[in-house]
Amino acid sequence: MVNTLDNANLDAPGPDAFQCGALITDKNRTIIYANAYFSEELNLQVASLLGTSSDDLFTVSSKIFIESYLMPLLLHEKKCDEIQLALIDGNHKRISIMVSAKMDDKGQIYWSLFSATKRDKLFAELLDTRKKLEAQAKILHSMSSTDELTGLMNRREINLRAPELINQAKRFTHTIALLMIDIDHFKEVNDTYGHLEGDRVLKEIGSRLKTFGRQTDLIARFGGEEFIMLLPDTDATDARLLAQRLHNLMSEIEVNNSPVTVSIGITMSDGSRNLEVLIKQADNALYNAKSNGRNRTEFAQ
Amino acid sequence: MSCSNEIIKRNNVTILGSGEKTLLLAHGFGCDQNMWRFMLPALTDHYRVILFDYVGSGKSDLSHFDQSRYSSLEGYAQDVLEVCDALALQDVIFVGHSVSSMIGLIASLQTPKFFSQLIMICPSPCFLNFKPDYMGGFEKSDLVELLDLMDKNYLGWANYLAPLVMGANNSEKLIGELSGSFCSTDPVIAKTFANATFFSDCRHLLKKAKHPVLLFQSSQDSLASVAIGNYMQQQLPDAQLQIVEAEGHCLHMTHPNIINQMLREYIG
Repeated sequence: MVNTLDNANLDAPGPDAFQCGALITDKNRTIIYANAYFSEELNLQVASLLGTSSDDLFTVSSKIFIESYLMPLLLHEKKCDEIQLALIDGNHKRISIMVSAKMDDKGQIYWSLFSATKRDKLFAELLDTRKKLEAQAKILHSMSSTDELTGLMNRREINLRAPELINQAKRFTHTIALLMIDIDHFKEVNDTYGHLEGDRVLKEIGSRLKTFGRQTDLIARFGGEEFIMLLPDTDATDARLLAQRLHNLMSEIEVNNSPVTVSIGITMSDGSRNLEVLIKQADNALYNAKSNGRNRTEFAQ
Repeated sequence: MSCSNEIIKRNNVTILGSGEKTLLLAHGFGCDQNMWRFMLPALTDHYRVILFDYVGSGKSDLSHFDQSRYSSLEGYAQDVLEVCDALALQDVIFVGHSVSSMIGLIASLQTPKFFSQLIMICPSPCFLNFKPDYMGGFEKSDLVELLDLMDKNYLGWANYLAPLVMGANNSEKLIGELSGSFCSTDPVIAKTFANATFFSDCRHLLKKAKHPVLLFQSSQDSLASVAIGNYMQQQLPDAQLQIVEAEGHCLHMTHPNIINQMLREYIG
């Protein structure tokens, strides 16, 4: 029985018969064994590989990867299950390969190499798809968070982002100001001069508010002709000054040669009230500004 | 600056051994403080040894990762300085592997009093070629290919598509759930470190060094050649160069005894 097995082993094809590369390097990375795969599939003559450094097999980028990942892993954990590299074959062609390797106590490395040309294509496709998806996600996010007409953030986005700003006020004991801005007699603009003219006014206000605001301010179109500004680290004196400048800024826009005016309601907070409450307070102040004659600012009581 | 305990936790600081002198060991690109384990046994008998992981590597707290901070070596140098500050270190002997050599140099120029000597293992001030004056060893195209290779390997190592599906806002939830291997890390973070490592040029800083430097270069290293060692020695005001007959870029792992011996002779 034993004899039969031994004979069978003697006749069995050796490692040269495998359709994968087998390589052994000593502790100086000198190649001491390579199977026939290297000459048959990679056009590298086994005899000329022996005695050379395994480093010479690989592309430059693969060498960096070997030094930064594969070698530390082998030295630390004695094996590396799966790593993708690229080597240069006998025709100077770049070949993608998957490598599995282990290191013994003497520092000899046993490399198994598998062709990864198709896998590499798949990976490239995956990466490409990921890139496209990322770009799409970016566009979708911008579409879902931006008001198309004015380019300001929309109501949904300010609802999402306000809580963080409010919490920060609480944490760093700042005061914040919420301004509700409403265009006076906007319905008349639409009715008299048409919706296109109404849209122009909204766009102009949007672009002016954008350049007017600080980077940390949240500015949104909240409804038809209503805008919201949430200003971090701002006290009542600042807010009043700012509102005055806003009145001036808005009057630069004209409809039929007369300046556009806005009414503004302001509420101040230390961060203890949520956005909903702040909006309600600013809205009440805005109502007062309207009933007190428009083109003015009122603070919430 | 954040409080000491926070930094110690953030950078997974480990303190070992005891002695009059303190060594601060800084790992290079790709792995973490475990790289030093072969050198440790001989060091901890004579010195106090401090190990840490840069934010984004090893068992550091990945939630502190800040893309813009860690896009340049200055951000990593900030980690070193914050660790020194948190432990109230002074006159520490900084030992850096590969890119950490330059990170240490940047840190030592910013706050000289923390440091007394710099030991650089397989350093390079610049991996890129600037023909004909300087040959770092790599063309830009090689390094772009490296990033591509990293991408392809990370496909298998991490939840590569998951952040996209979950949305950018949820990506923190994924962080810290990566596989246990000491070389694997979040793909975005690793690529940021790779970019900072391989596209930096610190040559202009060498002449400004304020501390004595001991350079270890391997005789066969595809990342940092002997010529680079010679160049650095010429540029640094006070530097010794030791060429170790060896293959590869990880002398501290492959030849820990030689490095330890020369290091001890140098430090005294």
